[in-house]
Amino acid sequence: MSTHAAERATIDVSQTAPVPFGRLVKVEWRKMIDTRSGFWLLTITAILLVFAAAISLLVVALNDGITMSAGAWSQTMSIPLQILLPAIAILTVTSEWSQRTGLVTFTLVPHRMQLIGAKAAAVFLLAVATIVLAIGLGAIGNIVAAQIGGYDATWNLTAYELFASVVVQLLFFFMAFGIGMALLNTPGAIAVYYIAALLLPIMVYSTLMAFFGWAESLIPWFDITYSTVPFLETNPDISGTDVAKLVTSVVIWVVLPIAIGTRRVLTSEPK
Amino acid sequence: MIEVNALTRKYGPFTAVDDVTFSCEPGRVTGFLGPNGAGKTTTMRIMVGLTPPTSGRATIGGHLYRDIPNPGRHVGVLLDAGAQHAGRTGREILTIGAKTMGLPASRVDEMLEMVSLDDTEANRRLRNYSLGMKQRLGIAHALLGDPEVLILDEPANGLDPAGIRWMRDLLTGYARRGGTVLLSSHLLNEVELIADNLVLIGRGKIVAQGDKKTLRSLDSTVSSLVDALDRDALVKGLESDGYTVTPDGTCFRVNASTADVGRSALEHLVVLTDLRDGAMGLEDLFLDLTADTQRDGAAASMPPAVPAHAAQATSEGAHR
Repeated sequence: MSTHAAERATIDVSQTAPVPFGRLVKVEWRKMIDTRSGFWLLTITAILLVFAAAISLLVVALNDGITMSAGAWSQTMSIPLQILLPAIAILTVTSEWSQRTGLVTFTLVPHRMQLIGAKAAAVFLLAVATIVLAIGLGAIGNIVAAQIGGYDATWNLTAYELFASVVVQLLFFFMAFGIGMALLNTPGAIAVYYIAALLLPIMVYSTLMAFFGWAESLIPWFDITYSTVPFLETNPDISGTDVAKLVTSVVIWVVLPIAIGTRRVLTSEPK
Repeated sequence: MIEVNALTRKYGPFTAVDDVTFSCEPGRVTGFLGPNGAGKTTTMRIMVGLTPPTSGRATIGGHLYRDIPNPGRHVGVLLDAGAQHAGRTGREILTIGAKTMGLPASRVDEMLEMVSLDDTEANRRLRNYSLGMKQRLGIAHALLGDPEVLILDEPANGLDPAGIRWMRDLLTGYARRGGTVLLSSHLLNEVELIADNLVLIGRGKIVAQGDKKTLRSLDSTVSSLVDALDRDALVKGLESDGYTVTPDGTCFRVNASTADVGRSALEHLVVLTDLRDGAMGLEDLFLDLTADTQRDGAAASMPPAVPAHAAQATSEGAHR
């Protein structure tokens, strides 16, 4: 009796395989796109991509002598990606708290570092997949525009440019991801991200930099939009200061939020 | 199967769980009973690793929860049926769970059928679910991985009487097949219907535990309720036999067994109109046991502690 009871009082886990990391990434990927918010963010981004392509084609078609290179196409097409998709990177983290799904997620996988990794991998895949899609659309646009405009398509997009634009895109996605982890609150994280990544650079910094010399030298130290500009040139002429500016801005907006956020995700109790 | 040992969780000066020790046996349904805010949920959250304990430990099948590989295959957990993405359908929620655990998609259909959620309901988004439907979905989610242990926080909350009966049949059947069930509730009636063993908690402390019979016998004071045609004769007779008689509602409470009261009435030739056992029900006991954790100075009314593996009286005012 006692041996039987003892057998039943313990669980034999030796035959159970741990949840493989690849499976977690797949699940996190699914969770990013299976909700209405995920679906609409992707759908509207796709519509914006088509719009961007259509407007570019229209401009080429209606204006004689205007041509667009592959580099111009890839830059145009990557703009729509920056507008809405970082919200998905935020939601993948914050929804575990705001929708309280963390209760289930962290119970099924009681290793939060693994989950952070899986979410980061899913965000990485989303960023890369959408960039590839955007550049692919850009390539088609380049061919069609050359046909309409009656010029030879220029394929001037170097491997370096491609690499640099992918990295910059990833920086913004992981800035969003880090802010999401640091705040663990959907509206807060979305507000902070869009103010810091879109609103300030476009509405405020651009004006300041146009009028004041000190702003032009100061702002790239803490703003990724401007600190990455020298790296996105076709023939970049990068100084040590440019690298230092990139590093500080990335530390402020990507490294720090991810570091603080990782600590918060590991220690906070999802209620 | 579930071993909770000297578990304590403090939030600043507040002790949510205070030196809690109990265990749950395979083949039995253990009810975790206590008023709101008594520490049931915190204890369960510590068990599954969502909340770190301040001291003490909880193991399931001999393992810390976080050491169990793919825990969904061994321990089914339902902490809050509403804690799911409101925009996902019931089917999608189960699919995500099944995919995480590495289960085939057919398992999702099996579980939906088991908890009687039909296709239309399963394809509805969670925000359109009633509380009862959420609970059913939560139960389905907990049972997805065919676990040996179930940990359910207030699973009967929001179920109608038919739903509670369904759950009782489901959980007792599960326990008969060797499963271990721990379920919490703040409603005694719910737990009394479903559970074999009870663990009573108040203000973070275990106040009593044991099977239902043991707990009933906690009320060791013998008493009867009695009434008679000639009340004066009844009281006089009982008092002359050395019993204490106090008015209680429309009749009298006597500190004697029904047999002794009957014998006394026979001797004094009193015609009885009512005579019944005045021992407290489990509900009174529950209220009484947790009373001193709710207001100070009630400790005197505490029944004596049961020896061996059972009740422990708590000292008053241990908190705050």
